[in-house]
Amino acid sequence: MARPGAVIEVDRNTPPVLFQFGEGVRLEKLPLGARIVYPPDPLEAIAHPERAIRRALGKPLEDDPLKALLRRGMKLTIAFDDLSLPLPPMAAPDVRQLVMEEVVDMAAEAGVEDIHLIAALGLHRRMTADEVRHIVGDRIFSTFWPDRLYQHDGEDPEANVYIGKTAEGEEVTLHKRAAESDLVVYVNLTLVPMDGGHKSMATGLATYRGIRAHHNVKTLLGSRSYMNPPDSALHHSCIRQGQLIEDTVRVFHIETTVNNHAFPAIANFMQKRETDWTAQDQAMFLATKQLTDFAPPAVKRNFFHAMRAPYGLTSVTAGQVDAVHDKTLENVRNQLTVRVEGQTDIVTIGVPYLGPYNVNAPMNPVLVVCMGVGYLFNFYRHKPVLRKGGVLILTHPCRYEFDAVQHPSYIDFYDEVLADTTAPLELEAKYELRFAEDPWFRQLYRKSHAYHGAHPFYAWYWAAHAMEHAGDIIIVGGEREVVHRLGFKCATTLEDAFEMAEQTVGRHPSVTHMRMPPILLADVE
Amino acid sequence: MIAEAFKGKTVLVTGSTGFLGKSIVEKCLRSIPEVGRINLAIRSSARRPAAERLEREVLSSPAFKRLKDELGEAAFAKLAKSKLAVLEIDLGRDGLGLSDASREQLHACDIVIHSAAAVEFDNPADLSAQTNLLGAARLVEALQKSGEHPHLVHISTAFVGGMLRGLVREEPPLDPGLNWRHEAAVLTTLRGPVEEESRRPEVLKRLRREAQSRMGPAGTPAVARATERLRERWVRERLIERGRVHANSMGFADIYSFTKAMAEHAVVELHGDIPLSIVRPSIIESALDEPFAGWLEGFRMAEPLILAFGRGILRDFSGLPDSLLDIIPADFVVNTVLAVAASPPPDSKPRVYHAASGSRNPLRFRRMTEEATQYFSEHPLRDRYGQAIGTPTWTYPTRGELAAKGEAALRFVSAAQWAVERLPLGASVADLSDDLNEERDRLERGLNLIQLYGVYTEVDCIFDTRNLMSVWERVPAAERKKFPFDAALYDWEHYFQDVHFPTVVRMSRAETVARKGRQPSGSTAPKPETTSVRSAMEKRAGRSDVLAVFDVDGTLVETNVVEYFLWMRLRAQPVDEWPAFMAQMAREAPRWLYLERRSRAEFQRSFYREYDGLDYEVMKRLGREALNAVTLRRIYPEGMRRIREHKRAGHRVLLLTGALDVVVEPLAELLEVEVDCARLLVRDGRLTGDLESPPPAGEARGVLLEEYAVRHGLVLADSFAYADSLSDLPMLELVGTPVAVNPDARLSQVAGQRGWRVERWRMAPGNWRLPMPDPRSPEYKEAVRR
Repeated sequence: MARPGAVIEVDRNTPPVLFQFGEGVRLEKLPLGARIVYPPDPLEAIAHPERAIRRALGKPLEDDPLKALLRRGMKLTIAFDDLSLPLPPMAAPDVRQLVMEEVVDMAAEAGVEDIHLIAALGLHRRMTADEVRHIVGDRIFSTFWPDRLYQHDGEDPEANVYIGKTAEGEEVTLHKRAAESDLVVYVNLTLVPMDGGHKSMATGLATYRGIRAHHNVKTLLGSRSYMNPPDSALHHSCIRQGQLIEDTVRVFHIETTVNNHAFPAIANFMQKRETDWTAQDQAMFLATKQLTDFAPPAVKRNFFHAMRAPYGLTSVTAGQVDAVHDKTLENVRNQLTVRVEGQTDIVTIGVPYLGPYNVNAPMNPVLVVCMGVGYLFNFYRHKPVLRKGGVLILTHPCRYEFDAVQHPSYIDFYDEVLADTTAPLELEAKYELRFAEDPWFRQLYRKSHAYHGAHPFYAWYWAAHAMEHAGDIIIVGGEREVVHRLGFKCATTLEDAFEMAEQTVGRHPSVTHMRMPPILLADVE
Repeated sequence: MIAEAFKGKTVLVTGSTGFLGKSIVEKCLRSIPEVGRINLAIRSSARRPAAERLEREVLSSPAFKRLKDELGEAAFAKLAKSKLAVLEIDLGRDGLGLSDASREQLHACDIVIHSAAAVEFDNPADLSAQTNLLGAARLVEALQKSGEHPHLVHISTAFVGGMLRGLVREEPPLDPGLNWRHEAAVLTTLRGPVEEESRRPEVLKRLRREAQSRMGPAGTPAVARATERLRERWVRERLIERGRVHANSMGFADIYSFTKAMAEHAVVELHGDIPLSIVRPSIIESALDEPFAGWLEGFRMAEPLILAFGRGILRDFSGLPDSLLDIIPADFVVNTVLAVAASPPPDSKPRVYHAASGSRNPLRFRRMTEEATQYFSEHPLRDRYGQAIGTPTWTYPTRGELAAKGEAALRFVSAAQWAVERLPLGASVADLSDDLNEERDRLERGLNLIQLYGVYTEVDCIFDTRNLMSVWERVPAAERKKFPFDAALYDWEHYFQDVHFPTVVRMSRAETVARKGRQPSGSTAPKPETTSVRSAMEKRAGRSDVLAVFDVDGTLVETNVVEYFLWMRLRAQPVDEWPAFMAQMAREAPRWLYLERRSRAEFQRSFYREYDGLDYEVMKRLGREALNAVTLRRIYPEGMRRIREHKRAGHRVLLLTGALDVVVEPLAELLEVEVDCARLLVRDGRLTGDLESPPPAGEARGVLLEEYAVRHGLVLADSFAYADSLSDLPMLELVGTPVAVNPDARLSQVAGQRGWRVERWRMAPGNWRLPMPDPRSPEYKEAVRR
């Protein structure tokens, strides 16, 4: 039985605590009485993933066994999550590879010949061939690439169909091949509660037209939080779209979960509590600190981005989407949830080097906001850890740095849009459509490896809830001009940030540090 | 007394388009309403007839603003119409080129104020002699011939005595043993021989070499034009030097005072029984009170010095700190002239008056620098980064020492500039190059100032004003208020701090306020100054006959043909063959650098030979791969924005480049724009290394653009061109809105001279990679295996 998560109060014996700092780490001493929230230890992994997969496919929830759904002459489409999951990328073999190999084998046995595999990347960037290979494995790659294994293109008018409107008026589009298939098998990996379920198909195989229905400021402000689907307007919208998709095409959903064993042995200190650090962990921390303090960003990035996570499979569930997803959410919460009593005046979070949208690229300032103010802030159930009007303190170097190939629309978003306004509602109304329909960004999204023109706006919207909730947001260690462009305050050290925060929350504030990685979900009473 | 003397009289003012001339006209019009008529001697210029010049060069001057405000526009126009008349006189022609009507007009004049002069100290010798010396002689001869006897007030300069010491008396010039007719003949005929000399083979060859070095890549016509410009400058410089040396050898500081002195001789000799008064102002500076405090036009003597002080250009200056700097406000000179005009000499003996401050209200050189220090400490000028410039402390070395120091520094800067221009670093040294340019400019201007004005700060003489004071005695108290000209009436602190220094700073349009902060470090966003290109785009929005032509390498993408070649070749060969290949490239590098500097076309011809024998299909595939690996990574986001803006505005967009089709076409396809690029001949599926058509560089690029415009009915005068190198010059010259993007040192200079927009576009930071594929990547391994 793995050790559950814990909330520890800082006393004289508490060692300094780890803060992620982009492609670097910092140890910070927190004030006496501050709370540190630690995630649970990794759950036990399933010893024989292949067997578990076969079992799940043979005994699905509220659906017939997969074998019974496969028949000769049918059109079968397998859709799978792209490289934005999991983070960091999983050490080979990826669980999606194991699942897909099983599905493909079963289909072959049943005599299915017309099989297509589609990377459900929504408006994310196209992956390189090598990145696709990493997810699907060599066997599938060499058999199907590039004619029958390819990537969704949300801007190809030939490859997408409009399938209707939900009761709430949300438009739904679907990849044409999926819509015309006799069966769509969706292979998912759920790392955090916002992933999976109906959202997989409703965003992964959709176009801008379908995604804008819920990726907007109004919906995200109504999602408290989007990391907890029952309280998330975003997810309600995706469910409505997903039901319409289920009426159109037969979907067989497979979801997997992994534990939070996110770092290989050399970086084990990242995911261990500081009190548990061994001499080796301490040595590795020191070495990493030295390297990252002095190495140029590109060297640090190569070091960190080369890391592969030794995740262990903790569950695999197949069948009807809703039934599967309920089970999956339960499994995810088992791994992530920590009970936290009450809200605090100040929340501190270290922002890592990696988010869902910068695999093999630097985390640009907009993505820092997306990751820190968006995702990490939203890892709560019921209530935010931060009280309304409290101060959110993040640590990240926040460099003016963009990947020109992956994030061209982010560059213009930063240079043009943020120079004008940082208010989510305002920039949504004023700029989103122009970026989304920009022919250059469309070309880069379709033919190069760039995120869609609308994507930086989504990254910004994820942070809308926290911007509204927090009284102040301070980034420690950021480049001053960049942080100001983002609309936040900049502090050199954590002590300075606390000092600045006192102007908003008063003297002697209560402080809670969300000690990530690995990810945790704070269940606030 | 003054108003009385002018009552009903007809006055002629020559040089009325000049600063002093129009000041005199203004004062007459405003303070002497009794004056009968004022004739303004104006010559029709090539561009404008005389009447229009009166309107545009005299009456629209700020000098008349006060009068217009007092009277109202309509009444002023009426007054001007009733009192002012143009008298077409050409002082450059014998007999003044008079028509019958204008001869009558001239004969009717009662007072003639001759203020026309070429006042720059460094004019070419022939120009100074024509205007200052012969102009005055011709005017007097014409008056003689008329048989009338108007009072002639000849405005000269206090420095006609050359560099005298001690008291300079108000008396006609001593005979220096010079014949003014002979001097005039010598100076005016200098130009012919100098022109001839400039065409001697050794001179022309040297000038052509210099032009080639500066403009080589821009093509033959551009080099030819540059050579001619250099030759004209050479002639002008020779003539200036001849004039200066000639004047120096006669004991004068410069050609201006020399020709003015000769003019006095001529006027005194020729005037006969015409009553003659000579007014010799010292250094005329901005007006103390009238028509408004600080009225000044054109930079004269002390202004460049003052600005150079404030800008830190002159870190030191020569001169005698205790010498008298004889400065006199313009309105005092005007009043002096009017008072003198009102007091004609009773006999034919000429009278001389000094309009100078030295004897009544002496100003020492040190005092002025102290005033300047005080003023610029309180109101500092700003450098191009918006930082306040400190005031220097002058130590007053001798002129020789200072000039030697300046020349040594100039030689050093020139050497550094020579090196920087030849470094193959392109736009990355632009800042350094700009700094060097600025430093060179500073030194040259400093040296020039020392040469021109240094002597005036060593003047050890006092200009006597007893004659003038006797006139002042006769002016009744009521008129003294209206026409003050006694230099003892004001104090220097007020004059400098409240009147003159603010005027100089305002006129120079120097930065005096700190600017707002810069963009975030290395932002790719446009600087505010690009807005004028934007506004030009907006004005021409929706016009399909407007073209936006972009160079590619260095303008839209931070690459060059060598890097692409390197990347594609390395991509296609195993890692162990890389060193040999790189060594071979390194061997060729110096030759390519040399060719590139000489001519872009020669370089491309030579470099593209390297493609000989390569498989065309393979190169096309590699070119496509290079799009993601090299091009898109090194692209300038601002360039992409600009292209899209042009497309949104409905303009036609063309990429015009000397890069090869295999690397440019994928980019053009992605951008969905047209492209005109270099192509190699293909034989049996292999590239030959020979170009299909001449490389589109230099003048060829201009011709290509013109052809393209004609073919598609485009209006180049309303079009835009963006380019980074001198070889694009012919293309930039053709369009209405040329933009130099990340210009190299040479294009930067040209753009600066022509006032073109210069923009610095940057790559998104963090994207620079060596132009070689990652040998560890699976894609590379795969490709090599194939």
